Amino acid sequence: MGKFSYDKDVLENLRIAEEETHLLDRLLDYESAREAHANKSHAAIDKRLSLKEAIGEYVKDGDILTDTGFAYVRTPIVAYFEIIRQGIKGLQNIGSPATNQSYMIPFGTVTHSHWSYCGAEMRGTDRQMSRCVKAGKTKILSEWSHGSMAQGFKAAQLGVPGMYSKQLLGSDIIKYNPFVRSVDNPVKTEKDPCVFIPALYPDVTVIHVHQADKFGNAKIYGPVINDVAIASAARKVIITAEEIVPPDALRNDNKGVVIPFVYVDAVVELPYGALLGHMPGLYYWPRRMWEKILRHWAYNEDMIDDFYETFILGCKDQYDIIDKLLGGSKWMVNAKRLTRAEEYDNEDEGVDFNYTEWTREDPNPEDVTDQFKPIY
Amino acid sequence: MTDIKPANPLEMIAYVLSLQIVDGEVIYIGTGLPMVAGILAKKTHAPNVTMVYESGAQNPIQGDMPWSVGGPATWRKSPLILEMAYSFGQMYNGYVDKAFLGFAQIDQYGNVNTHMIGGDFHNYKNRLTGSGGNNDLSSLAKHLVLVGLQSPQKFVEKVDFITSPGFLTGGDARKDAGLVGGGPLSVITSAGTYDFEPESKKMRIKTLHPGVSPELAQMATGFELQKPEGEIPVTPLPTPDIIQILREEVDPRGVFTSLPGC
Repeated sequence: MGKFSYDKDVLENLRIAEEETHLLDRLLDYESAREAHANKSHAAIDKRLSLKEAIGEYVKDGDILTDTGFAYVRTPIVAYFEIIRQGIKGLQNIGSPATNQSYMIPFGTVTHSHWSYCGAEMRGTDRQMSRCVKAGKTKILSEWSHGSMAQGFKAAQLGVPGMYSKQLLGSDIIKYNPFVRSVDNPVKTEKDPCVFIPALYPDVTVIHVHQADKFGNAKIYGPVINDVAIASAARKVIITAEEIVPPDALRNDNKGVVIPFVYVDAVVELPYGALLGHMPGLYYWPRRMWEKILRHWAYNEDMIDDFYETFILGCKDQYDIIDKLLGGSKWMVNAKRLTRAEEYDNEDEGVDFNYTEWTREDPNPEDVTDQFKPIY
Repeated sequence: MTDIKPANPLEMIAYVLSLQIVDGEVIYIGTGLPMVAGILAKKTHAPNVTMVYESGAQNPIQGDMPWSVGGPATWRKSPLILEMAYSFGQMYNGYVDKAFLGFAQIDQYGNVNTHMIGGDFHNYKNRLTGSGGNNDLSSLAKHLVLVGLQSPQKFVEKVDFITSPGFLTGGDARKDAGLVGGGPLSVITSAGTYDFEPESKKMRIKTLHPGVSPELAQMATGFELQKPEGEIPVTPLPTPDIIQILREEVDPRGVFTSLPGC
């Protein structure tokens, strides 16, 4: 492993001891990432595994796990639940956003965090995350903005040691990020402060896609966010896919194929793998479910056991979530209709997006289904 | 038309925000009131405005109010969606005219905090969302429009954490730090609109909403507000036509502009 230096003041600000800096090294360690990439099979072979096998084989205690998709859009939440279920511990979590680490912290799954954003936009701040960080259940190793972290992943994809950025300058974020460094633009005659963002190499990533072939070529519809860059950077890549198609299908219609098979270690057929979130073109958020997660399960510390009972033990897979919690086939039909109408691939006239928000005084707190509304 | 209810404070903010948008501009926005303002501008004085989002979504056709910056309403029939790194890159490269941002705390130089409130980094009262794209937009955008409710807890002498640089310590500090964007252009709140004094870069009253005196605005502020020379203009109210467009066409479900009891 290469050697890296960190600013002492920044380490002190983050309360990272000198003997803990090995926790930081691997994210920057290009040599070991290159070696991992070089040593995996480069052949187009059938890489299909079950979700249980893929997580068990490729996600190890202490790994740097990358959150993918966009918070609750095309995010492999079903795979994250499996990571919790298998009792994997001590992960570092990084991503822009990195919203999903919140529910992984109380179980010791995630113990170290790289933070750019954690919350649920208009649904409010994440009380659980705030509580867990303050109580020391996860240690923040670095603060970022979305754009600067995106540059770190992109540098890895481009195969360069890093980027000169104009973000983070003058902010307090830079005082809480041991990876980035204030530098001067070497080609400008006058002083031109920049921030050097090193290429970032996480250990493992799970990326949920619309279609993949058995080799790992993967197709995404809708926002790609940072996932192509992350797939090229991560030492180990698990693809979970709504469907597995024959390789010729991706040759004949290659629009949206963004991840090449060589990056990929495992391919998992996982319909509804983005639940509890949204999957572009396929299913809309269960909106009341998200409100209940933030306003109930994340609200008070003592609710986390109930979260575990409900989602990790009570549901063995995504089909249980659909059947036991969301309302089964009616939810499936409604979720498809809502997203197709919002994307305007289906007629949206007459499709009603109204629903009753889940609140802490909800008259039907057990009901987390968005009401099914026939058009006629 | 004559019996239409006057604008509530959120509708007022959305309207005033929409006036910041000039036809033909590319604007970078988050969910909430900036989204409402963008659509209102598009339906009134700025039909050729283009909206872009940090998720990479570009120029959607209008549909339902978006649930998330990554949701389908932000890329409804978009001709293309950029990756996140490229989406911020277009701002550095000069293709974005204005960015619209919210804040949890703001100081007199337009520095913004969305990280934490009270205490210090490790022992805070509340930890908030963190930067998201907030720092990127404030670092890179040609012009920045900040929007939020005004109170002494939000308009503070010193922000608890500088998530996003405004004019830093004022004067030329922003330029000296190497930041490329022009910094905050205006701040739009429930009480009025503010700009920044060109030399000191201190926040200055530009207009006050009807019924708000300079003393009242100052009472809602934890630092000394600069005042312009002469009479302070009253912020124009939306006409009934505009209120009707806002309620019927822009945010008919009142997702971001309804107030309980209004």
